[in-house]
Amino acid sequence: MNHDEAVRLLGPYRDGELDLTTCLKLEEHLAGCPSCQQKLAEEQELVGLIQSEAPRFKASPFLKTRIRAALREEKSLTIPWWKHFSSVWTYSGLAGAAVMFALLAAGVFWTQRIPALAQEAVADHVRSLQVSHLMDVASTDQHTVKPWFAGKLDYSPQVVDLAQSGYPLIGGRLDVLDRRNVAAIVYQRRKHYINLFIWPSDAESLHGRLYEQNGYHVLGWTKSGMNYLAVSELGEKELREFVKMIQAQTIESRPGE
Amino acid sequence: MMEQHRDAGGNLSQQDFERVFLPHLDAAYNLARWLLRNDQDAEDAVQEAYMRAYKAFARFRGGDGKAWFMTILRNVCYTMIKKLRSHETPEPFDEEIHQPVGESDMQEAFRQKANAESLHDALEKLPDEFREIIVLHDLEGLAYKEIAAVVGIPIGTVMSRLARARGRLRAEIIASNARESLS
Repeated sequence: MNHDEAVRLLGPYRDGELDLTTCLKLEEHLAGCPSCQQKLAEEQELVGLIQSEAPRFKASPFLKTRIRAALREEKSLTIPWWKHFSSVWTYSGLAGAAVMFALLAAGVFWTQRIPALAQEAVADHVRSLQVSHLMDVASTDQHTVKPWFAGKLDYSPQVVDLAQSGYPLIGGRLDVLDRRNVAAIVYQRRKHYINLFIWPSDAESLHGRLYEQNGYHVLGWTKSGMNYLAVSELGEKELREFVKMIQAQTIESRPGE
Repeated sequence: MMEQHRDAGGNLSQQDFERVFLPHLDAAYNLARWLLRNDQDAEDAVQEAYMRAYKAFARFRGGDGKAWFMTILRNVCYTMIKKLRSHETPEPFDEEIHQPVGESDMQEAFRQKANAESLHDALEKLPDEFREIIVLHDLEGLAYKEIAAVVGIPIGTVMSRLARARGRLRAEIIASNARESLS
């Protein structure tokens, strides 16, 4: 092996990318060539430096949440409803299919009746996870989050912390629902988030019905003149549990207090 | 292979997708961050890549998910770079500053200057295709063969490009040292 050839192969040699034959030939040349030995040492030094000193950027934990939420959205958009139907037809026989068809029809009917408000709340929730805009005020302290809304809204939402029960408060943000500014209080459950929207119930009140849309659950209710709407990708059971605790802790009071 | 990624109803399973590809999140973010130079663009690129990969999941034939996914991510990054930098002119490579002195002086200058900060600056200054190959090989540990697949070039080109990239990186570190001693 001549010198130029050897110089060209020093990098791949360092990287362990040479086949055995070439490797042996190079080592033969290397043994008698101080210049190549020097170059190899320098190559080693440079790569060592890159590996020990160059920052390896790490994705933030929010990015993963954002991606998973976006994937869920994507899925519900890409699988048309008749695919569910055809799979059911194939796998569960005629009688089962008939039952499923009835359920599906009811489901479609139900879906169509999801009020615009619930749909909008789900969209707000998804957007809050997607654009790194989950919180304007990040705090686990209810006495920090509540005053933050003062001056931004013409009412003062009650902020309760459920950290003891496994639903820690993590912050709040202003959002828009039904063309008005509303308070969005953000809670966390494991790696999932719950947006709790609160606004005065002057126009209509909500009746505690749970809606499901694209894997998200929405539950709204009215208490003491305020509307509450909880949205999350959490399962129905956990969202109901969360809502029950919020209801138990919000004190009866008039809006504005 | 395709059946692997479908549930009983023949639908693509999000769970399978996440199991195969979410482990590459950090590697993807690292490459995107080095190519796009800021957090926000890098996050957007990575998310976009996951969306595209998800739509193309049915065509994934198993095997090396990392190379497959990084290929998609790289395409997204370059599309974004074109958009972001369409109005910028690249900084020319200053041959005068990069003129080597003597062999031994050079190695000495390299040692003096080589630290985390100078390395970061030097890497930032490299042209995209050089920075990318160093990130893929030296930081992410992809083999020449995988890099060839991701970048879409022959293995021989991977070899020569990596050599040139490292040479240029060394020159950048020395040049920044020279600039510093002048000022």
